[in-house]
Amino acid sequence: MYERGIVMGVGSSHGNGLFFRTLTEKQAEEIHLASCQILEDTGMVIHHEEAVELLRKAGAHVENGNRVYFPSFLVKQALQSAPSRVTLYNRNGDAALHLEGSNVYFGTGSDTLNYLDPFTLERRSWRQEDVAKAIRICDKLPNIDFVMSMGLLSDVNPLMINREQYAIMVQNTEKPQVVIAEDGDTLKDIIEMASSVRGGNDRLRQKPLFMIYTEPTSPLQHPKESIEKLLIAAEYGVPSNFACGGVAGASVPTTVAGALVQANAEALSGLVIHQLKAPGAPFVYGYGNSPLDMRTMQAVYGTPEAVLFQGGAVDLAHYYQLPSWGYAGCSNSKVCDEQAIMESTMFTLMGALQGCNIMHDVFYMEFGITGSLELLVISNEVIGRTRRLLKGIDTDKESLGVESIMRVGPGGNFLGDDHTAKHFRQNWMPDLSDFNNYENWTENGSKTMVERARDRIKLILETHQPKPVSEEVKAQINEVLRKAKEKLGGS
Amino acid sequence: MSSLNDLAELVISGNYNGAKELTQRLIDNGTEPLEIINQGLMAGMNVVGVRFKAGDMFVPEVMMSAKAMSTGIELVKPLIADRDMPSAGTVLIGTVKGDLHDIGKKLVVMMMESAGFKVIDLGVDISPEAFVEAVKEHKPQAIGMSALLTTTMLSMRDTIEALEEEGLRDSVKIVIGGAPISQSFAEEIGADGYAPDAAAATDLCKKLIA
Ligand code: B12
Repeated sequence: MYERGIVMGVGSSHGNGLFFRTLTEKQAEEIHLASCQILEDTGMVIHHEEAVELLRKAGAHVENGNRVYFPSFLVKQALQSAPSRVTLYNRNGDAALHLEGSNVYFGTGSDTLNYLDPFTLERRSWRQEDVAKAIRICDKLPNIDFVMSMGLLSDVNPLMINREQYAIMVQNTEKPQVVIAEDGDTLKDIIEMASSVRGGNDRLRQKPLFMIYTEPTSPLQHPKESIEKLLIAAEYGVPSNFACGGVAGASVPTTVAGALVQANAEALSGLVIHQLKAPGAPFVYGYGNSPLDMRTMQAVYGTPEAVLFQGGAVDLAHYYQLPSWGYAGCSNSKVCDEQAIMESTMFTLMGALQGCNIMHDVFYMEFGITGSLELLVISNEVIGRTRRLLKGIDTDKESLGVESIMRVGPGGNFLGDDHTAKHFRQNWMPDLSDFNNYENWTENGSKTMVERARDRIKLILETHQPKPVSEEVKAQINEVLRKAKEKLGGS
Repeated sequence: MSSLNDLAELVISGNYNGAKELTQRLIDNGTEPLEIINQGLMAGMNVVGVRFKAGDMFVPEVMMSAKAMSTGIELVKPLIADRDMPSAGTVLIGTVKGDLHDIGKKLVVMMMESAGFKVIDLGVDISPEAFVEAVKEHKPQAIGMSALLTTTMLSMRDTIEALEEEGLRDSVKIVIGGAPISQSFAEEIGADGYAPDAAAATDLCKKLIA
């Protein structure tokens, strides 16, 4: 990005030179300029008075009270004040997710309607105990870096769903969270719960435990609640995205480039509002695109175009030097079958190569309607393989192994050589993948990958207990819930 | 006669400029207006419906065909007395209170329009009171409610109750849809029907209103 210093020569560059990008620098610039044109000439409808006022004072043109046209200098200004790196900390206060450069992190999605029960194989509504179990499994899986709420709770007061989800998440894993909130009041209650864990709002600001996911309603509209959350996040220093949930062919253009132009315009408009409210507040550049399948009319995940879109959006984030938000590990399949693994794995690998900093929706099935813990556990393994790939090839003297090759010589065997013993553990090793011969595989019960994943789920639930929060924190969380229930009424 | 077939073909291929021109020519030639609609424009659209169901045509193509049909109808309409105008009925539709998802609802609107319904789209975030007001104003045969959120789907029940209180419930058929909605939910809240997608929604309304 122009004035911001270094011009990025690469899209993403991992480890020893594993390198990938989707857009050329010139294409990124073309998209940037097209988005600025949309912002300036078409503008956005913003259903939030304070935001409109902030924009008007800063020099935006406003018509009919809420139609705001963004001059390009506002975009430039926001890009200058927004930080290039955002860090999320775990419950212990350790830095856990460094959202910067080409670092990649993976987590689940939020609010699926149905739980594919791995024990009864039923597709049914989520209950609190299911979400608690699912989060416990995430706590254990080494390659799941953060959590989202996973399931919509069917057994709580509907007005309390997001608050109850947060209480379950924060008590069942030490990992950071990405949060959905119905409205500003919900977000404030979640901030209160997080700050009781952290020991105060100031500490929470210094070491964010969660990020809020808020979004425009494409095309080109900002609902009141979305902006409310964005402004609260800016004020409290809670990292936020403003991720268009585009449906190509319906709410954004059907071409990948067109979807990028509009999504980028929407994300940038959010960034402008956010930075006007609190310059320097942590913002994660986000976007999403689930193209409309023109036969079934479903908003589908992880199609080749959706993956390309993400590559383009990540390159834009790199171009702007902003951390990036995206998707991985999700599927349109109804059960955890070959299609589920194909779609989710392709997205995970591509997202990692793209260098998307924080990817969510790992475990999503049926375009986000259903969630599968089997897919979660299998994705954990896929991410493990992927992380190894990202490290690339070391070519230092020891890795080149010339001495070892000389030692072993023609017709020898490396199995008995020191070099092998010393280095083989650096290679990726399977956990769930089966590398047995046929006889041993049958002896172990002839289990498919999905069956092995189910065994793993059982094992984790039997053996793993997350570190609990203190009794004091627990009481504070319950108090926030109690007050909210009192205020909201209902059952 | 063959030009009525040509008109149908133009509708099928989604050529709305062509359909407009030919409709005008047919009018100028003195072709019976209702014939233009039934044997030209609607005939074409019926083929589109069949092809769409068979998977030979896709939604954006159906939209183009619908556009071709309606540009033609716009020209013919002034020549026909209102009561003779063929219409499958009037449907009032909206996304319920608290919910902003409208992509699916818009699709339902477009599909219904292309099937000959007059559709009044109230938009998003529509409260039970607003539905009641709109029913009083437009006197539709059916109401469609859309909800994509588990929290907002409850507003469907409130709307049905509000219509009952105003004594309007029996004047309309109520159909509902959206990702979290099911047939059993429709029965539970006393709606007349549920449809999982836009094509099924159109068929359902046809069946209920007929
Ligand atoms: C696109 C989308 C959005 C867009 C909406 C843009 C827009 N202009 O509509 C944006 C990003 C704004 C959005 C916002 C939110 N969303 Co949303 N969204 C989706 C997504 C990905 C696709 C929906 C869609 O358009 N599908 C394509 C259309 C064509 O299908 P459809 O809507 O189902 O409609 C078809 C049928 O249902 C039926 N139908 C629809 N209406 C009607 C009406 C009648 C009468 C009939 C008969 C039939 C019928 O016919 C349609 C055509 O075939 C879904 C996930 C999913 N796969 O469903 C989540 C999803 C619906 N969203 C969800 C959530 C949680 C939210 C937010 C709360 C998130 C947040 N961060 O705050 C907000 C809520 C905003 C609000 N107050 O409404 C959840 C809902 C969970 C629940 N049931 O409660 C879902 C399921 C995703 C998830 N698992 O988290 N979302």
